[in-house]
Amino acid sequence: MKVSILFLYLLCICSYLKAQDTELLPKDEAGKFIYYEVVKLHDLPLHTLKVRLLDFFAKNKVGLKSTKFQMTDSTFSASGKLIINKTMVVVSHPSGEVNYNFVLETKLDKYRFWLTDFKFIPYQKDRYGNFVPSTTVGVPLENEPAKFNAEQWKEYRSQTALYAASFAEKIKKHLADPVLKTSLPAEKKMVTKVW
Amino acid sequence: MKNIAAFSLLLFGTATLAVAQEKASPLEISGSVDTYYKYDLNKSSNIKTFFANEQNSVSLGMIDLALKKTTGKASFVGELSFGPRGQYQSIPDVTGGYDPEKNGFNIQNLYVNYAFTDKFTMTAGYMGTFIGYEVISPAANFNYSTSYLFGSGPFQNAGIKGTYAFSDKVSLMLGLFNEWNQYTATRGVSSFGGQLMVSPVEGWTAYINGLHGLDGYGNYSTILDLTTAYQINDKVKIGLNAANLSAGDDKFGYSGVALYPQYAFTPAVALGLRAEYFNYKGISGGPSASVTSFTLSGNIKAGGLTFIPEVRFDSDKDFTQGFFKKDGVTPNKSASQFSLAAVYSF
Repeated sequence: MKVSILFLYLLCICSYLKAQDTELLPKDEAGKFIYYEVVKLHDLPLHTLKVRLLDFFAKNKVGLKSTKFQMTDSTFSASGKLIINKTMVVVSHPSGEVNYNFVLETKLDKYRFWLTDFKFIPYQKDRYGNFVPSTTVGVPLENEPAKFNAEQWKEYRSQTALYAASFAEKIKKHLADPVLKTSLPAEKKMVTKVW
Repeated sequence: MKNIAAFSLLLFGTATLAVAQEKASPLEISGSVDTYYKYDLNKSSNIKTFFANEQNSVSLGMIDLALKKTTGKASFVGELSFGPRGQYQSIPDVTGGYDPEKNGFNIQNLYVNYAFTDKFTMTAGYMGTFIGYEVISPAANFNYSTSYLFGSGPFQNAGIKGTYAFSDKVSLMLGLFNEWNQYTATRGVSSFGGQLMVSPVEGWTAYINGLHGLDGYGNYSTILDLTTAYQINDKVKIGLNAANLSAGDDKFGYSGVALYPQYAFTPAVALGLRAEYFNYKGISGGPSASVTSFTLSGNIKAGGLTFIPEVRFDSDKDFTQGFFKKDGVTPNKSASQFSLAAVYSF
């Protein structure tokens, strides 16, 4: 009994701390949520940056809509989605997706990128028990929800902010990686003739 | 046909073993619970289309529990339901009947799936039918009561099917199935069917379906079905279902069409109409009979909960539905009801 009470107490504390840590994305001049960052290139040639950028998107196809890639000399844009998971104590399943646009621009010794145009599409369970989009038209994440859906909407915004920060770290790390893996690791072989 | 089915299962089994070492996703658990109150203006359980049929009673729908897991390219779905809607009103018992006292089988979906490539997948087991617009689960329907087209068509198909996606806009499914709604084939794998999906523009999807074989009425029949929906903008959606079933040498059966316009005032509040015309074809050249039905439903969402207030008017000019006047004895050509349902999805 005491163990159960202690477990519940710890669970409450963890939930409270998590709620305190979560920050929402800031808004841009047009009032849209945005994740925006400017990064120094540190002598990295622009063409190498582009190669690594394409490599990043090639290796992270899941969640990125590759059909909408656009690339010019100084601008790269793509659209993607993140899956929102409804997570309870013991269960988890997708409850929707947030679609977004990604843009990266280069300029002399630096580049900047941003994620914006976040739109939520709720999922619905289909006849086969799979979760699928219930509509094709997303609701901008900036929209203020009705009172009774406020908590849910807040969770979508929080998960989006966490995703954007994680995505940014991942792409920055990939673009700065001096050694891009170009071949598969050698296969391990066991020698059994001599023992 | 048996050989093809056996070969397909063997191929499917071999492929499934091959992915045993691949990465697994977490186990997904989801489901829904629903309950309703219905009041018929003639104080009788007049409208008998599936579900929401009990008069002046706070009644149960079902609790639905689904598990899904993906390991590499293989996945399974197991979905069980308990309660009138998910048992004897839609799910057969072990003998294939719908006896509420014997019904211990509660299976909505129980199948395994393997994606051979990004474009080609195979599925085997007991699955929700690919025919029609509406489904058993109230969480996936806009209206709470269901259409005559839904009630007359198949609910589930046990079998094996392969789906090839030519692109995001076009895919084709072909499959071999038992007779409708049966876990065990009584006359072998007796049916074959297919579904062509086309999505001409974003937001518009159409399914052209066909199924030939032993139906739920004991006849060899062919059903052709069109199910389509178009999300015109964030407010307006229109759906359409049309079907024709021809059975036996006499080509009796049914045909019908239902239109589903819906308007969303906000993401949480929407109103939708179902307008349906349904025709029972006469047997051996006998007279046909038709029913017209209008159902106006609201969807008010609060978190996982959806309230569905609904009014429904059915017109039965040929007296096939057994509608009665207030005295409960005199036949009537029409029936009207109000219902309020609460559906919680998790």
